[in-house]
Amino acid sequence: MSHCFLAIAAVLLLLSVTGCRQHKPHKEATNPVAGGTLVYATDREPVCLDPHVHGDMPQVFVAEQFVDSLVAMDKSGKILPWLATGWTVSEDGRAWTFHLRHDVTFTDGTPFNAAAVKANLDHMANPHTLSSTAGGYIKQYTSTDVIDDYTALVHLDTPYAAFLEVLAQGFLGMESPAALLRSRDENCQSPVGSGPFRIVGWDRQNEIILDRNPAYHWGPPTALHTGPARLDRIIWRIIPEASVRFASLQAGEVDVIDSLPPEAETPAQRNPDLWLLKADLPGNPTNGTLNLRREPFRDARVREAFVRSADVSGALSSVFFGHYRRAGGPLSPSTPFYNPETEHHGDYDPDRARKLLDEAGWIARTADGIRTRNGVPLQVHIPMRSSLSASVRTLWEQVQATARATGFDVILENADDTTVTDRESRWDYDVRVGYWNTNTADVMRIVFSSAFLGPPGPQAGIHQNAASFSDPRFDQIINAALLTNDPEERKTLYARAQTIASAAFLQITTYPQSTRMALSRAVHDVRIEPSLNVTSLYDAWITR
Amino acid sequence: MTPFFLRMSRVFAKRTLNALTVLFAVASLCFVVLQLTPGDPVLAIMGGGATNATPETLIAARHEYGLDRPVLVQYGLYLSRLARGEFGQSFSQHMPVTEVLRVQAPPTLELMATAFAVAWLFALLSVMPTVRRRYSGPLASALETVCAGLPPFWLGLLLLWAFAFELGLFPPAGTRGVMSIVLPALAMGIPLGGFLAQITRESFDLALDEPCILTARARGLDDRTVRLRHVLRHALLPGVDLSAWGIGALVGNAVAIEMIFSRKGLGRELFLAVSNHDMPLVAGIILFIAVIYIIAGLLADLLRRLIDPRLKASYS
Repeated sequence: MSHCFLAIAAVLLLLSVTGCRQHKPHKEATNPVAGGTLVYATDREPVCLDPHVHGDMPQVFVAEQFVDSLVAMDKSGKILPWLATGWTVSEDGRAWTFHLRHDVTFTDGTPFNAAAVKANLDHMANPHTLSSTAGGYIKQYTSTDVIDDYTALVHLDTPYAAFLEVLAQGFLGMESPAALLRSRDENCQSPVGSGPFRIVGWDRQNEIILDRNPAYHWGPPTALHTGPARLDRIIWRIIPEASVRFASLQAGEVDVIDSLPPEAETPAQRNPDLWLLKADLPGNPTNGTLNLRREPFRDARVREAFVRSADVSGALSSVFFGHYRRAGGPLSPSTPFYNPETEHHGDYDPDRARKLLDEAGWIARTADGIRTRNGVPLQVHIPMRSSLSASVRTLWEQVQATARATGFDVILENADDTTVTDRESRWDYDVRVGYWNTNTADVMRIVFSSAFLGPPGPQAGIHQNAASFSDPRFDQIINAALLTNDPEERKTLYARAQTIASAAFLQITTYPQSTRMALSRAVHDVRIEPSLNVTSLYDAWITR
Repeated sequence: MTPFFLRMSRVFAKRTLNALTVLFAVASLCFVVLQLTPGDPVLAIMGGGATNATPETLIAARHEYGLDRPVLVQYGLYLSRLARGEFGQSFSQHMPVTEVLRVQAPPTLELMATAFAVAWLFALLSVMPTVRRRYSGPLASALETVCAGLPPFWLGLLLLWAFAFELGLFPPAGTRGVMSIVLPALAMGIPLGGFLAQITRESFDLALDEPCILTARARGLDDRTVRLRHVLRHALLPGVDLSAWGIGALVGNAVAIEMIFSRKGLGRELFLAVSNHDMPLVAGIILFIAVIYIIAGLLADLLRRLIDPRLKASYS
């Protein structure tokens, strides 16, 4: 089935870029106007509108419009006050005191106060919330004390320097404690925040409707204006097919689309009625992580050889038409404390790859040029989940082709998502294709440190450290970075962690995940919120 | 000779028993297939291998959905709940399965009904005026064969490209208004119409040789009236039988068509439910489809009796 849909997707993309029609004419405007409805189209429907539950990217895109966070993050990674006007941290780094704004109310009339902060953090940490992202990011959380109405004291069991960074994410946004008292599934349908818009309806598989919150005057410090949002209403439409989404924008049926496919990017640029808004996401970039638990990647030389046999830059210019930048290190360049020295560590170098493979003993070759050692061919198994986009697949086909030239037999194995998840949980892969979006360099602790190897034994279950990398020196550095709030010290430690990770050749990193929008010229001031680079429509206005 | 009502109630009891057996088999098959597919529903729901959920959260989820029980216990509970009409809560959608069906079934049924109407309209218009016509006959017959062979998803792509992308006559996506249903209904209806036309053409051809037709002509009726009033009635039966199958085919095609046209509906929901191993939702949708199948079979049977009075006698 999935192959059938892939073929459909490919054909549709080809068709859509050939079609080109004109938008309705619109007035040029220079001053923001209030009112109007904006239609936004996205690819995936959130499974639950409460961003605390699960915590997948489509949820945070909607959440950004209707919840506020305790703190905000600007483009440089600096943490700014938002619902919390200030904060202090204890000497041991385990007690955080937050001073809160006095004038914030949720859209159901419940006041925002210290009890609300407590209710929210408790809700995220409660296993019954089924929170994968928010709950996972505050594993250190133990409890909150309500000191007075507008002072909350949050206790953690270990120091956590990235705490403010994760609090800035919409996943950890503040919801009405009264609404949180309802059952989880009820709250999923109609969560209540204090944001510039409020959820008024959700027609499954079709659209989510958000209306302006007229009382809003506590916008984030990163916003372009103050006071209530300019739009009256947002219609958040779900159009899974990338080409159909782009065609809907061209036809003027929708005003903004996200997840613009690479094939449509050039036609979108050429269309005078459209403009583009793009930002790279911070975190661990799109990658293939090599499994160190089994041959051939137990041997660091073979890992380096594989990384250096993959012509990623070539693939980016052919598959992504040069629209996507390269991310060569373990962190995307937009991540705080990114170290540019690791950028070219694994660049394409087939001659060095051949030398390394010779040294590692993979000298003999089969009739079709695949290297062997003791009669075992040099095979690399890569499970490919059906939800991967067509362009990611083509990228890996290019890697397959270039790695073949140095003697690797790369086998791309297509399967449905649950099957691939199952294989991943059993460490049954040589390369795992993935990424991890978050606004902190602490992401390296999740993807490379031994604390994230999962439970031991053959029935290992989940593990985020997909390489099975375990290096006490790395663990010590990455954990130490959480203990200090001194930016200079964190910078040094994270730079060292990046150097170790890239020297171990744990991943083929390809390009940063990105938010890519195409917008009608009638739409202005759509902003990309810096902490996770999700769309913010708070400042947006529309002329027609 | 047994009284009429007893005869009918026997027929009815037999039919109900058949329907229940079918539903039981469908429910069991559904359970077995989802058990056999590898993977853990909880991991699928919580974001796959990259989930950052704590072990406590995963345990809570397994317990909530009853996935920590032995498989046979799960199967027993599943059947007994279904028998009581409880479809349960969908894990991935966070709402009762009946609610998902209530919201998602109408657009799919609407699409199927429209496609079905398109199919019969196409079949009748193509067959009635052209059978045994020197030029138009073979031409229409060839067209029907081609249409029957078209994969609906491919036809959907073509229609989408031509009428939505290029000409802009119809919206490319969505479930809003009459315009948005036209292209998907054509994509599903034309291939089915091809099948219906082919089979009706054959029976129409045979019916033209029936003695009663000769009688009708002898009474001085013109050709159009003969075809419409007399031949059609004889020729409809195989098409009606095929329609029951056709409704099943429409459900299957709805999955691809709803994905292509970004329409809301059961097909897309089923695709999502299967990829998340959402057992209650998959079972709910499949059983719903099975019920549609059974009803379609019953209706086809009734319709046959209505069209052909001879069949009424065959029960005595």
